[in-house]
Amino acid sequence: MKRKSLIFLVLLLIVPLFLFAGGDQEKEAEGPKEVTITIWTKAGETELWRGLAAVEAAKELNKELESEGIVLTVEAVQETAGWGDFNKKFTMASEAGKGPDILCTGHENIAVYGSTGYIIPLADSVEEIKAMAPEFDDVIEGLWDMTSWRGQIWGIPQDTEARPMFFSKTKLNELGWSDAKIAALPDEIAKGNFTLDDMIETGKEAIAKGVVEPGYGYWSRPKSGGDFIQYYMAYGGQIYDAEQDKLVIVKDALLEWYKFQRRIVTEGVTPKNFLGTDWGIWHNTVSHNNALFFAGGVWHFAEWATQHVQDIGGMDYLFENFGYALQPTGIRGVAAQQMSHPLIYVVVAEDSSGNSNQDLAIRLLQKMTTKELNTNHAVGSGHLGILKSQAEYTPYKEDRLLSETLYMLDYAFFQPNHPYYPSYWSALWTNMEAVQNAALTPEEGVAAVLEVLEVEIGDALIIK
Amino acid sequence: MGFKARHSSSTAGNPVQKPNLGGGFNLRPGKNSLGNKYDWLLFMGPAMLLVAVFFITPVIIVFIISFTNMSSLTGFSNWSWIGFENWIKIFTHPQSGQHVEVTIIYVFFTLILFNVGLALVLAILTTHIPKAAGFAFRALWLVPRITPVVVYIMMWRYLMADSPYGIFNELIFRPLGFETSEMVAAYPYIAIILVNGFIGASFGMIIFTSAIESISKDIMNSSLVDGANILQRIKYIIIPQIKWPLMFVTTFQTLSLITSFEQIMLLTDGAYGTEVWSLWAYHKGLNNYFGQFQWGFGMALAGILVIISIVFCILYLKFFKFSDMIQEPKIETL
Repeated sequence: MKRKSLIFLVLLLIVPLFLFAGGDQEKEAEGPKEVTITIWTKAGETELWRGLAAVEAAKELNKELESEGIVLTVEAVQETAGWGDFNKKFTMASEAGKGPDILCTGHENIAVYGSTGYIIPLADSVEEIKAMAPEFDDVIEGLWDMTSWRGQIWGIPQDTEARPMFFSKTKLNELGWSDAKIAALPDEIAKGNFTLDDMIETGKEAIAKGVVEPGYGYWSRPKSGGDFIQYYMAYGGQIYDAEQDKLVIVKDALLEWYKFQRRIVTEGVTPKNFLGTDWGIWHNTVSHNNALFFAGGVWHFAEWATQHVQDIGGMDYLFENFGYALQPTGIRGVAAQQMSHPLIYVVVAEDSSGNSNQDLAIRLLQKMTTKELNTNHAVGSGHLGILKSQAEYTPYKEDRLLSETLYMLDYAFFQPNHPYYPSYWSALWTNMEAVQNAALTPEEGVAAVLEVLEVEIGDALIIK
Repeated sequence: MGFKARHSSSTAGNPVQKPNLGGGFNLRPGKNSLGNKYDWLLFMGPAMLLVAVFFITPVIIVFIISFTNMSSLTGFSNWSWIGFENWIKIFTHPQSGQHVEVTIIYVFFTLILFNVGLALVLAILTTHIPKAAGFAFRALWLVPRITPVVVYIMMWRYLMADSPYGIFNELIFRPLGFETSEMVAAYPYIAIILVNGFIGASFGMIIFTSAIESISKDIMNSSLVDGANILQRIKYIIIPQIKWPLMFVTTFQTLSLITSFEQIMLLTDGAYGTEVWSLWAYHKGLNNYFGQFQWGFGMALAGILVIISIVFCILYLKFFKFSDMIQEPKIETL
């Protein structure tokens, strides 16, 4: 009797579970299917449209999905962490099958994430991806190169930018430069008539005449970042050999670059022990017109206008005091360059995201790649657009900074999509810092780079 | 007669009757007692379990991964065994020597000057001044330790920044006509030793203070009667009496310093030649600018730290004659 009662009790508890479970399934079949797509981006205060674009695009996509019985919800997670932490989070989450459906990342991560299978290829060629949607056909042609790896297309461009050499127009005026000469400076730099040597000389003159304080003739970025490789390129460097899929070191260019980094200190245009300066100090110093030349990114204008000089005129103050040009060449007569670093949206594989929303994610990306949504981001954050149609789109055209720096994309080079590039860059940076701080001579720095890369990269490196 | 909880073979035939713990475990070896052979397990079991789960297992995992090519390129699924390749890479890597050098400098000087040296000085000083003043002084030295590390490092960065932002430069060096500079970059070794030392000193200070205050007043007073000056008291009374805490702090702080890097990471992130071994391992295995990780190589670097730590433990135990210090009191064996 006791045993029968126990069986009855168990059945009493279990049967309703099956009944309710069945009820739920029936309910699901009746109503629209709810799908949530998660997107992870790294975004500062001015860059929130990286994720908001997905939220807005979902509204458009839901109109199409209504007939398919799907209701799409977007969950945008915007991080302010550094790239290392952001990438680590994605790596760990992907290994656990808990990654996002869409990731906004630097294009250089394609090779790493493609190797591990965290992300999926979107098309087998540029033509194929362009044929997939008119929005993708509108993407600026050159940007597809940065989404390519091993012959396939792995991402959709999100934004790009220019890394100009900023200069103080008012300080150059004080130095005796005419308005016309100042206005012509970007063109002179682009043609290679105003070189890095000229920049040092101008900085020295400004210090000698008391226009700027000693050490304030030229301020580079204060911390590690791919930006410095612009000066390796300025002396004839080469990063990557696409045919052999190998990284490249041009020894002479590397030596000249390291000599330049040391010279800016010995000539007194950059402070001793400058590298490592706090970002807050750097932004405050350059945005308040204390340096003659300073290397940054176009997006910094938006940051300075909203976070540093908002009380003294914001964007008007910046335009009044500063000009922007390409990064000067180190070799007179050779055209200037600058490095662009496009961010891209990639679609995360089923094993890594734990979801099979890949097709929907691609459809969402189509809706995100519009001139309206992308211009919101471009204007708000100071990044350059990615679509051909944006050049003629009024809100984009009316943005003075974006329209005046758009030409810089014609002079852009990119970091390669090579899995060993992080090791390559790390060796260049560590020894550049040692050379600039006089811990190594330029020659010793070059030798140290080659020694480290031999161990770290080995056969994947070509030395010229 | 005291109670002795430690077993040794020499006590097996000890005829001295030991008290029982009032119905608890019979610690005396004997064939009728409850599993005497395994009594130690009951006492040590929980601690051993914790050590096994949180130390032994991770160490084994570290060594296993160090023999693989596991990295961001392979993920956790597509890795393969590569034998001693990562270990060979450590010994052939041109940066290994520099990381060893900075680690030795950092550990040695932080330990000697601050974590043990300054800690001892502070403990002696604060136990030889009025009690309230000593307490207040020690409380002041605890501030760096209880300050959140990010805030603490931020304070140092702005203390040592170049003019006009740096407090030292702007308020001291510039008015005196000295050339100013970013001081962390100019004196990187001094910076990392100071920053860590100011935190580390308080640990030893507390331990030493407690030990000094535990020294019998009779002994201290006797030394005064015998005419010992303060230096003689330190040399002949205090130091010998606090040998055990000295050994503990030196050992503990050496091992902590060898494996610690968080203050250095926040202050310089390894720049200016301050990348100590543990930070190198962290950068290679877990965190770097591009977020590309070499877990296999990073684990080999961490494995070196484990080996060095164990070697240091053994050396310290030998050097401080640990076995002598835990010998049974003579009175017990009478």
